[in-house]
Amino acid sequence: MKHLKSALMLAIAGVSSLAGGAAMADTGKLLLTGGVSSIDGAAGGGLTPWAVIGTNATDGEIGASAFVSRAVSQDYSLNVMGAALGYKDRFEVSVARQDFDASPAIALNGIAAFGVQPGQKIKMDILGLKLRVAGDAVLDSDTLMPQIAVGLEYKKVDPGSIGSVLKFLDAKTQDTDFYVSATKLFLAQGILVNGTLRYTRANQNGLLGFGAASPGKDKASWVPEVSVAYLLSKNWVVGAEYRVKPNNLEDLGRAAGLGDALAEDAWKDLFVAWAPNKNTSVTLAYVDLGRIVPGITANRQQTGYYLSAQFAF
Amino acid sequence: MTKTLLSPLLAALLMVGAATPLLALAQTAAPTAQADALYTALGEKDGITKLTDDFVNRLKTDARLAPAFKDTNAKNLKLMLAQQFCKVSGGPCVYEGADMKSAHSSMDITKTDFNALVEVLQVSMDANGIAFTTQNQLLARLAPMHRDVITVK
Repeated sequence: MKHLKSALMLAIAGVSSLAGGAAMADTGKLLLTGGVSSIDGAAGGGLTPWAVIGTNATDGEIGASAFVSRAVSQDYSLNVMGAALGYKDRFEVSVARQDFDASPAIALNGIAAFGVQPGQKIKMDILGLKLRVAGDAVLDSDTLMPQIAVGLEYKKVDPGSIGSVLKFLDAKTQDTDFYVSATKLFLAQGILVNGTLRYTRANQNGLLGFGAASPGKDKASWVPEVSVAYLLSKNWVVGAEYRVKPNNLEDLGRAAGLGDALAEDAWKDLFVAWAPNKNTSVTLAYVDLGRIVPGITANRQQTGYYLSAQFAF
Repeated sequence: MTKTLLSPLLAALLMVGAATPLLALAQTAAPTAQADALYTALGEKDGITKLTDDFVNRLKTDARLAPAFKDTNAKNLKLMLAQQFCKVSGGPCVYEGADMKSAHSSMDITKTDFNALVEVLQVSMDANGIAFTTQNQLLARLAPMHRDVITVK
């Protein structure tokens, strides 16, 4: 945890110093073609990584980016900050810290003596690595060949007083997601499509730990994530995302007589991204995160907004 | 399908009939009738000439690219680009310039340079009132040239 924190600080310091030098060494990606920062820090859409390598750096260049994001739903909120380094449009390292307001979890004390504190936050640190293995998502406009990347996201969650609940569920506090992404810009049509397959056992992306006691699912599974975007202009993009989740906990909750209290649904969003210049992008989205521990949130669908700002060099 | 069948047929007709008045008429009419929608959207020859004139003027003054184009004959470059844009957009033109590989092989061109040129072209298309969707169609036909133009990989 400490290491990741210092990595995050170092990365942000790196971004600022690179930003200072950016005037001298211009990096050369076309507007928005490095994607925006996903909630886990990797370049992509908002909820899912893409095969693009983040930052403005293209072949032979090194770039950096930093971002802050906030998502708010009926019962929860999530703040994220992070940074990424892009190396020669080939390799990406990203770090992110998520701060999730899990206040409704206090109701879990009514099920058992979990000792959940009021206003409890769940913090998660994420280290991401991504390697572009083939293709050029933007310039190979005469073929169907997409840009393809493989990546991993190492996640470590600090649940605070909710740790007793994760222990009860036998959800681990750290794990690694692996993914493969394919991104293609159909330039003549102005449509970008991304498909990602993620191998994960994360519950709610890891905020509720990883895996579950039997009869919950403790093994990782492959889940698809899809993004589609339409270019309105050089500076404006609209799109939608759909991210399937493994839903590891529901069966465990059911066996415990809690019905679908622990069910997990797919994440969806409709977004608009705006890049007023090469160094700045702002993304606003309507998100539908489905149910998040519906047993303590009156079965509500967690819908709300997502706002993210990225600075890239 | 129709297009692939029609173009050899048209080519044959145009070659055989170049001397006859009837086919001479077909020759002038055919390109317009068969022209690609993109060529029309770019404003045909006049629109493309206006665009490439403006584009080259901007290349000559763009801080990133001007050094690379300072010794280039602007008039010739405008003509070659006009022929090339006309041809790739489906217009009735012959491109008389060098192929992209030999035209750039002696230069050090990075992807950043290539992208900078794309940006200048976008600005030029904006200035010439070319719709964004049309811009992307033209860019989609030019972008694959990156394989021959970029020499520093």
